[in-house]
Amino acid sequence: MSIAIIDARGWQNTLDLKTGEKVETSGPAIDMVKGVLRRHPYPGDMGMESNRWVSDTALDLIDGYSPRFVFLTYAAQYFSGRYAQMTKEQRARMISDTFLEAERFIDISGFAAIIVGTGDMTPLLGFIDVTRIDGFAVCTHWTARYAGLYDPSPDDIKALEGHPQIERIVQRKEVVRLFNGTPEQVSRVPEYLMLARKGYAFKTISGAMKKPVMIPSLNFNVPLYAPGHIAEEITGIRSALAKDLSSGKNVVLIVMEGVGLDDFLWPYLLCRNGMEWYYYEPGEAQYLTITSGDHRFLDYPTGYKYFNEAEATKSYPFSGYFKSIPEKTFAATFPGKSIAAGNKSMFMHMVTGADISVECFARNLSNQGTMAVIHREGKR
Amino acid sequence: MHCGYCERRCEIKSGRTGFCRMYTVAGGAIKERFPHCWSSCGTSVIESIPFYHVYPGSRCLVIGTAGCNFRCRYCSNAYIAKEDPETQQDRMYPLAPRELVDMAKKFNCRSIIFSVNEPTVSIPSLLDVAQEAKAAAIPMGCLTNGYATVESTELLASIFSFVNISLKGLSPVFNKKYIGIPSSGPVLRNIERLAQDRHVEVTTPVIQGANDNEIDTIADFLAGIDAEIPWHVFRLLPEDEMKDAEYPNIQAIDAALRSAREKLHYVYFHNFVGSDWVNTLCPACGSVVIERFSLGCGGDKLNRVLCKDDRCPGCGRKIRMVGEKSVSREEKKEVYGKSSKFKTK
Repeated sequence: MSIAIIDARGWQNTLDLKTGEKVETSGPAIDMVKGVLRRHPYPGDMGMESNRWVSDTALDLIDGYSPRFVFLTYAAQYFSGRYAQMTKEQRARMISDTFLEAERFIDISGFAAIIVGTGDMTPLLGFIDVTRIDGFAVCTHWTARYAGLYDPSPDDIKALEGHPQIERIVQRKEVVRLFNGTPEQVSRVPEYLMLARKGYAFKTISGAMKKPVMIPSLNFNVPLYAPGHIAEEITGIRSALAKDLSSGKNVVLIVMEGVGLDDFLWPYLLCRNGMEWYYYEPGEAQYLTITSGDHRFLDYPTGYKYFNEAEATKSYPFSGYFKSIPEKTFAATFPGKSIAAGNKSMFMHMVTGADISVECFARNLSNQGTMAVIHREGKR
Repeated sequence: MHCGYCERRCEIKSGRTGFCRMYTVAGGAIKERFPHCWSSCGTSVIESIPFYHVYPGSRCLVIGTAGCNFRCRYCSNAYIAKEDPETQQDRMYPLAPRELVDMAKKFNCRSIIFSVNEPTVSIPSLLDVAQEAKAAAIPMGCLTNGYATVESTELLASIFSFVNISLKGLSPVFNKKYIGIPSSGPVLRNIERLAQDRHVEVTTPVIQGANDNEIDTIADFLAGIDAEIPWHVFRLLPEDEMKDAEYPNIQAIDAALRSAREKLHYVYFHNFVGSDWVNTLCPACGSVVIERFSLGCGGDKLNRVLCKDDRCPGCGRKIRMVGEKSVSREEKKEVYGKSSKFKTK
């Protein structure tokens, strides 16, 4: 059973991750993790101290669990850059601070680092309003380039194909072909996937009430710092991790959100971030692709009718979209001990597969506290 | 001229606005400034609003506008409620009533619920939506701070079948300091009025050291109207002007609720992730009749409904619920009149 420990500031609860039901359990790992959560209250998404929280939490977990593999996500610069107006200099300082934070972690922990940026941000130029079509469009407010399209009328198709800010409209069969989808996965793929041009985002129902300043840019390539390795695409990061770990090193994989080729401060390799016309935006699909070494867009494709499953499926109620624990994630198959810490979303425990993960529990930037998940303990 | 929509009763000069900045005077009458412009339009599950006793597990279309007639120091939607509505118009959804109702149908929504900000600031638009929604047999609900005038409350009652009223505190000192109003009197009056023939749930955010001493008095007030009114006690999530405030102590508030649970049949304590106090228990035998998960502020979910035909599976006691068989005023009197102090004026 995977155990979730929730810390809502001054109060903790222990649950079965799958059912969401309260469980009474204890043990060395659980007690250790409860202490870590108590010592590291989450400061919130928008300040740079949030990245420090990631490092400090991970260092505390390292003290208590002695892992060989650590997965970190720094996302404060992504949230701040997305919603706060800032000058070029302020943005540069923010990115620089993120690298300093990574350096601090590496210096203290002594772990060998592989760092990947999830891609550049670009100013929002405008929305493509698809709320008044005959059919309907679906995307979450975190995506920019993609939206699913269902039941479009011929008039819808004509108008959308002629829209100056829509790059193209891809049919379901083309999406399925690109990712070699299984019949089960096909059901989640929208009838059409719409692609916006750089700087534009789709406005669908359930869109954000907060208007972003910056959105993900065209990131066909992302930067990868991986000394001694060649990885031409993000699916190759997994084998770089395996190689370093098998050589006896302790390894940290750091994901820097909202940092791309334009801003990456350390020497990097150009790493392909998708296939053909598709590239990943920051989110669970990109993480799963990195950790599994396989393209994982179809697990929860952008534009799928997430709201249908939100109501119908009762498993993993504290895990966002996820309805099962993803297979083949790196840390889940790694025989040594692993931990993860991150401030991106409540999905670290799903996308990394780490034995123990700690993540912020923040929804739409509201700071609810933290959550730890213990998938397994007892490794030596 | 004076605006009669809420108890602020602002004096508005021609072309100017009042406190909420959503009404102006034009042609000698109070007019809505941004009719049919919605800050939000999206689907959600009804538990997340929260409504715990209305169509459990159903999908609703959530709408909101901009502006508010309160100025709560801890507002969780300050960028909508406190910012000038005029500056927000470029990100609004301009949707006519028919379009909203069609949207609700397209996304299989069981109801349309106004939340995010205060419905009193957009009553004319909501009257139009209600007309279309009624024609399509889609009930409407809302969250409200309950500070509408008597006349506006009647309008709200004509629009909404179910209402969650935020009773933030009782003392004038608290209301002045944290909410920016002189008295909770109108809110209490309107709870009493709406509970006569609408389904009412009440929410109270608890701030330690500010209004936690009023828990018992609020429970007494609600029980005096109808002990079956579901009461959502919220742990304050420190945001906006109070973002640096301490998170209230969960054990202390839970302990303070003990006597309230004796007075009211459905007391919930949530607004924080992983709450243990979001299930509905049968008031007669204590069996769990509805299980939910709490994901914190605006994220609650249904797990399962254990009662059948709104009755406890253990003892058969009726559980208050707005379900597929809507409860009329007369039925409500019949069902609840004997077991509570529910009264009809």
